[in-house]
Amino acid sequence: MDIGFGFWLFTVALGASALGGMLGMAGGIFVVPILTMYGGVDIRIAIGASIVSVIACSCGSAAPFLRERLTNIRLAIVLETATVLGALTGVLLSGILPEAVLLFIFAAVLLLSAWQMLARRREPEVAIASTEPGGLATALRLHSSYEDRALGGLVHYRIGSLSLGLALMYGAGVLSALLGIGSGVLKIPAMDSALRLPIKVSSATSNFMIGVTATASAGAYFIRGDIVPTIAGPVALGSVLGAILGARILLVIASDRLRLLFAVVLVGLAAQLALTASGFGSFGGPG
Amino acid sequence: MKRQQADDLRLDHRLAATLQYGTWLASFVIALGLVATWTPWPPSILAAAQLVGARLVVAGVALFILLPVLRVLLMLAAFIRARDHRLGAVAALVMILILLGFVVGLAEVAR
Repeated sequence: MDIGFGFWLFTVALGASALGGMLGMAGGIFVVPILTMYGGVDIRIAIGASIVSVIACSCGSAAPFLRERLTNIRLAIVLETATVLGALTGVLLSGILPEAVLLFIFAAVLLLSAWQMLARRREPEVAIASTEPGGLATALRLHSSYEDRALGGLVHYRIGSLSLGLALMYGAGVLSALLGIGSGVLKIPAMDSALRLPIKVSSATSNFMIGVTATASAGAYFIRGDIVPTIAGPVALGSVLGAILGARILLVIASDRLRLLFAVVLVGLAAQLALTASGFGSFGGPG
Repeated sequence: MKRQQADDLRLDHRLAATLQYGTWLASFVIALGLVATWTPWPPSILAAAQLVGARLVVAGVALFILLPVLRVLLMLAAFIRARDHRLGAVAALVMILILLGFVVGLAEVAR
């Protein structure tokens, strides 16, 4: 691989991860379409590189949330049974599904993400009692609390419907493995509507889980040869630095206009992917 | 209850340190590998340097993939130590499922 293409991969990942970080999402949703459409990278190789960058971003940004005790690690490990099982399903499906189908699914996820980006996320009403009284969430002691400095005290929360949350998380795992993304598109409804977690806890816990979910598929892809280190290396490195940059920029800018801009970008990428999948577009680029 | 909170706090901090330092280590190894690959070495050592560089990048990527596995292992050990058998069993199940992912990869290569 020449140095020019390596720098291009690094820069794309840095930019995508910084943009994703500003919006509280993983950069994979930008990385895969850009590598595929503008880098001439095979979609399976792009997904392999992206899944490593998803792990890198998840691991790299988990520490502050853990130290602030925002991450509910007990809930995370329970939900990971579903996401990892979903990831295994995704790995098996990825070997069967034709490239055009993968591109169509990706385009649909991009459109859903654009819609989610425009629909403001509201703090769910914290459940006073679990919707599964005496259920699994209570038995596993998943209900917890966190210190909210803005509210000036300890916020106690209880887990909503764990069974619905697990079902949605299974779907998130499938999408993550199939497309090499963090799957916020399914995790957000799972965390907000099913589990009814406070947004801060939901973001921290979701970020914490992404790494393990992605590892289940990354291991298979690595052994299968779908993770090409010369592509995944610069992408992972760019993603780690981009995530740090994105988090810093997030502190100083208003994200409302950015959300609108990125929703437009996501719709544009979705349209291009759909056209490519239909045979009307073409791959090309520096690769 | 207080003991459980102290255990949870200790585990949170241990996981944070593992993931943070692990990320830096993997990133450093990848960066080192890329520099070794892209540096215009004299022709006499170019091939060897590029080989070492490529292997370092592979090692860095593998470290990233193994980092969450280590995180699950740490959680499994902590739950077992705290005699939290239910969560221990859940963590063991996650570990088995992750390993199954590696087995699926091996099976596909063998086919």
